[in-house]
Amino acid sequence: MEFTLLAAAAIAGAAAYIMLWWEAKHGNAARCTGNLWEIGLVSTVAGIFIGRIVAMLVDGVNPIAHPMDVILVRSGVSTVGASLGAAAVFAVQARKNTITIADGISAAALAGLAGWHAGCLVRGSCLGTASDLPWAIAQEGSTVTRHPVGIYAALLLAIAAIGLAWWKAYRRPPEGSPAAIAVIAAAGIRLATEPFQPSISGGPVWFYATALVAGIGVLAWSIVRRKTA
Amino acid sequence: MFRIALTLLAIALLAGACSSSEPVEGIEPPSPVTSEELQALLADSTGPVVVNVWASWCTPCRSEAPLIGRAATEYADDVLFIGLDVRDTPEGATAFIAEFFPDAPITHLSDASGQVPTDLGGSRGVPLTFFFRPGGELSYLHFGVIDERTLALQIDELVNG
Repeated sequence: MEFTLLAAAAIAGAAAYIMLWWEAKHGNAARCTGNLWEIGLVSTVAGIFIGRIVAMLVDGVNPIAHPMDVILVRSGVSTVGASLGAAAVFAVQARKNTITIADGISAAALAGLAGWHAGCLVRGSCLGTASDLPWAIAQEGSTVTRHPVGIYAALLLAIAAIGLAWWKAYRRPPEGSPAAIAVIAAAGIRLATEPFQPSISGGPVWFYATALVAGIGVLAWSIVRRKTA
Repeated sequence: MFRIALTLLAIALLAGACSSSEPVEGIEPPSPVTSEELQALLADSTGPVVVNVWASWCTPCRSEAPLIGRAATEYADDVLFIGLDVRDTPEGATAFIAEFFPDAPITHLSDASGQVPTDLGGSRGVPLTFFFRPGGELSYLHFGVIDERTLALQIDELVNG
């Protein structure tokens, strides 16, 4: 049962890899699937590690005194810590060609996130707040029907990933705009689905909103940059 | 790189070795409870009850404890939280409570034999989290470390179900 997280991670990895493979055949600007995969994988693993340490510190657990607690990611990973940690590790790895590599990995990152959310089917964690909508689902032994919020997020992210990949392949977007679109999609979808998520202390809505605004800013910059070039 | 890793490992081992389970002043050790007593308490309950089974020697219990403490504080008006400490020492238990639940509204009980969770329908492994409806009907049983989404969902089932 504890291995369901690994299964969800495997689904996420497979979705990201399939997207990179498809893009390699359809004009991904980076044209280097292996490197993009490695950069994405290292950034993700480092992000989870950093996010877990941040979550421990926030909970008042000393990671040096209790180093084994770090591997218990089910206990909580800070979304803010993981996202910023992954971004920092990505920036270090892609420092020579940051924008091109960020664009190259953007659709795969969204596909990976879609796969991760689809992994709720394996983890048994798709259900959210109560709902009377026709597609609402009740958990076993319950009469309370609920939003399948994990499926909402997975579908929206998958649509965003496919749309972005198509745009990159057939429309030649301005440099930097695919990465900005990926940030906007990921943050916007998390922001939209957060009210349906069951939560003890609430998700980092401020962080999703900040990322959304930052993504819009980068998108505007990339469009203006192309027009003035 | 190897030296840095070795130094960090040495610091971690040293810090781990320095942690101890001294008795903590001001924290009462959990009261002993039998299966019959706990089942009677659940049967008499007029509201939902969450029973979290833990032990101070259990690393996964340590990792989920802050979340349990936050949930107990957040749902103090709606749900009774019981912390069931199993196969533990009073010193270890009080140190654990002082570290993770100093102010959380949790009723702490102890079971030196470790038999109570099994009698409730669980197992001898820890951590375990039971969710009981009013009157003691088991709504959900979670084996292992519980995550925030699952805990929030099952509490919502108890409160609004």
